Amino acid sequence: MKVQISNGMFMALIINMIYAKAIGVTQGSMAREVGGDIWISTLIATIQGGVIMFLVIFVIRRMPEGDLIDQSARILGKWFGKFVALITFIFFLAAYGPVMSTFVFHLKDYFLPEAPTLLFILAAFLIGTYAIYFGVEVIARMALIGVFSIIALNILLMLGSLSEFDIRELRPTFQMGFLRTVWASRHHNTDWAMATIMAGIILPMVANKETWGKMGFAGIGYGMVFIIMWPILEAGVLSPETAAQYIVSCMQMARSAQIGYFVHRYEMIMIAFFALSILTQIMMSLLCASVAMQKILGLKDYRKVILPTAIILHAFGYWINFDKNRAVDFLEGWWVYISIGVAVGLPFLILVMGFFFKKKLKKEVVAEEAK
Amino acid sequence: MTAVEEKDHFFRNLQDNEDLMTGILGNSVDLVKRRITFHEHKNVQAICYYTDGLVDVTQIELFISDLLYKGNLLLHHSTLPSGPPLALLKEHMLTNASFQVVKEVSQAVDGILSGVAVLILDGSDEVFVIQTKGWEKRGVNEPQTEQVVRGPRDGFTESIRTNTALVRRRIRDPKLRIEQMNIGTRSKTDINIAYIEDIVKEGLVEEVKKRLRDIRIDAILESGYIEELIEDAPRSPFTTVQSTERPDKVASSILEGRVAIFVDNTPFVLVVPSFFWQFLQASDDYYSRYMTGSFFRFIRYLAFVLSLTLTSIYVMLVSFHQEMIPTQLILTIASGREVVPFPVLLEALMMEISFELMREAGLRMPKPVGQAVSIVGSLVIGQAAVQAGIVSPFMVIIVALTGIASFAIPNYAASFSIRLIRFPLLIAAGTLGLLGFSAMFALLAIHALTLRSFGESYLAPATPFQPKDQKDTIIRFPWWKMQARPVGVTGDEKRVGDHQFPEPPNTDPYSKEGGKSKESDPKGGGQSPRKKKRHVIKLKGEDEE
Repeated sequence: MKVQISNGMFMALIINMIYAKAIGVTQGSMAREVGGDIWISTLIATIQGGVIMFLVIFVIRRMPEGDLIDQSARILGKWFGKFVALITFIFFLAAYGPVMSTFVFHLKDYFLPEAPTLLFILAAFLIGTYAIYFGVEVIARMALIGVFSIIALNILLMLGSLSEFDIRELRPTFQMGFLRTVWASRHHNTDWAMATIMAGIILPMVANKETWGKMGFAGIGYGMVFIIMWPILEAGVLSPETAAQYIVSCMQMARSAQIGYFVHRYEMIMIAFFALSILTQIMMSLLCASVAMQKILGLKDYRKVILPTAIILHAFGYWINFDKNRAVDFLEGWWVYISIGVAVGLPFLILVMGFFFKKKLKKEVVAEEAK
Repeated sequence: MTAVEEKDHFFRNLQDNEDLMTGILGNSVDLVKRRITFHEHKNVQAICYYTDGLVDVTQIELFISDLLYKGNLLLHHSTLPSGPPLALLKEHMLTNASFQVVKEVSQAVDGILSGVAVLILDGSDEVFVIQTKGWEKRGVNEPQTEQVVRGPRDGFTESIRTNTALVRRRIRDPKLRIEQMNIGTRSKTDINIAYIEDIVKEGLVEEVKKRLRDIRIDAILESGYIEELIEDAPRSPFTTVQSTERPDKVASSILEGRVAIFVDNTPFVLVVPSFFWQFLQASDDYYSRYMTGSFFRFIRYLAFVLSLTLTSIYVMLVSFHQEMIPTQLILTIASGREVVPFPVLLEALMMEISFELMREAGLRMPKPVGQAVSIVGSLVIGQAAVQAGIVSPFMVIIVALTGIASFAIPNYAASFSIRLIRFPLLIAAGTLGLLGFSAMFALLAIHALTLRSFGESYLAPATPFQPKDQKDTIIRFPWWKMQARPVGVTGDEKRVGDHQFPEPPNTDPYSKEGGKSKESDPKGGGQSPRKKKRHVIKLKGEDEE
């Protein structure tokens, strides 16, 4: 029986997929460019992300039984399908660098500074491979719990930091100019890119295809609601200058939060709630990369390629994060171009190809339905 | 090949049948063989077989005397040339409620070994089987492992029929089905499956029967055998089949669309499918007022979290993340640990293992000795260990709290599962700090998420999230709010009728509806239209009324 996830789970996956990196690592990058306008850049990126998500859902809806890779194979043949699978694999391979940066920097810099980076990579390897062996349903169910922990984390942070909030830190708006604010949104676009390409792989497994669009946009909407609080508080509590000093600005924010006299350090509780989101990112990146690898090799089950895929991804993640400068350079440089290039280019290419080979695609869809 | 398999039908000759039975049953001392002779002239021979200790001898005596009287009478008037008129005998002997005629040897042998008497008549290849079961039974007592403050005090016994009767007494619904099967090539243990036909989840009964039928084993001595052979996750530390000694728990599960499996010779009845959160719920939750029930349920959830994580978090914080502990507190902990020569992890492991040792020793010993062991263990050894500087006072508090929390979990099997998974969590937290703790916790969570119990997600209704079923998860909603059965029940989905919110009659003399009671109001008993509108589901049979 084909594995199916509910629409709520799909929504939860989108939220978790963007949340972990977007609240801290991304905000730090944007703060270095636009200061207090990070929340505006976040909003702009959300709109752009919504457009790409709409594009992906539109493309998949033409052939709901197959993902982006399957559809490309139906349009232009097996080798084009393999090419798209390779692009997808490269995308998630590159994504694993920033994902690992988020995971490693949160834990290593703030809790275990003396532990070797390899230890964190091995932990991610163990959890990721174990989880994806059981398939997308288990990850999706975890993501559903992840949404509740995101809410808990946001509430905890608000409780500990709202008293320090100063709205003057957010003014004046567009202090670096409108275009620079829009340009800075590219950092958050990378987060949306991961969510949209993931949707391009898992959408056929989502149960009710009539509500894909609604759920996709609900995911974006809720994601935005959960994330937007962070840039506002980071700028208003830490100040944009301080936020720009840190790779993981959200952790600095969590560290400075305090509830009363006795609960003065509770970032560990917050990291516990944050963990589900970052684990979802790790698992989904690994799962999508494994599916892409499976389709490159023409195998029937992705489980056979979990181990080699995980080794490649983790080796890359280790190489990137072994050197912090390399990690930040990749995060703010190469990763931006790769992610936005693939997230925009790939669905658009398949959309155009599908338009040219409309009849062929229709025939394939009819044949698939008859099967 | 055994004698039963070789020959499965009786002979006409009594001597042949006697040889056959001796060949099968041997000469066991508890096997009674009584020779009977009918009619002094015709001299018809018969043998009655039964197992001493498994039968009610009075019933046998009664049957034999009845048989002799009627047999003599019938034979006297019989015109048949030879042999006893079996059909006539059968017709006249039907005074015994459970009287049967069987042809198969295996059926007769199984009957003898399970407490029925078998009468073999000369000249007949059919035998009488008389239900004379009756053996020493333990009375219905309060369950030892699941005691309640408020609620029924009766618990299951070792007799399967008593157990099914205890459930039948609670559900007098003709749709309650109890089906029989035997498992165990040698033990031939009676297994009963109970469910309500129009409530049970679709396909569940078939799945239970299939799994039970697939069991190939020589003997079933306790329901634990069945549990291990039918569960979905045999390699998991989590238990995915609920076992209980409480008839009210079984009845309530059956009413929620589940299936109960009764096994003879054990007071533990299995319930499937089972969900993780069920193990944190006690019968009292439903018998006490909903606020009390919800509060104690919340305490149990807290106990679960403490039992699983408290020691690990303490070890993790003290070993790796001291900055997370408030200054005053860390100073107190540090002063206690000053003389302790062991690392915190080793200290915790020593204490946890000692605790388990004391628990196990206290459990297996006779009650008075067990209590003494617990007192000596907890007070004397604990105090002495602190004074000797082997463990810190804080560690004693943490381990004791963890232990008490694990005892607050109502189901022993579930409590044990949690105690079991505590150790890997403790070792991971003690060696890798937050990374180890979170990695191990994530692995356990993923594992729990993958579990299923008879096709149902083990962590339901939390994940997959079922909003309707949240009324009976962390908070126990009042009965007038829990109208529907759990999701997945087919057919009769409603448990509680409309307008069940209790309201006293309006006795205000100045009110227009003064003195109008719920019963006198045909439209819904004193509830506001807003309240009435909310109840939309209809009870079964309500339409017809």
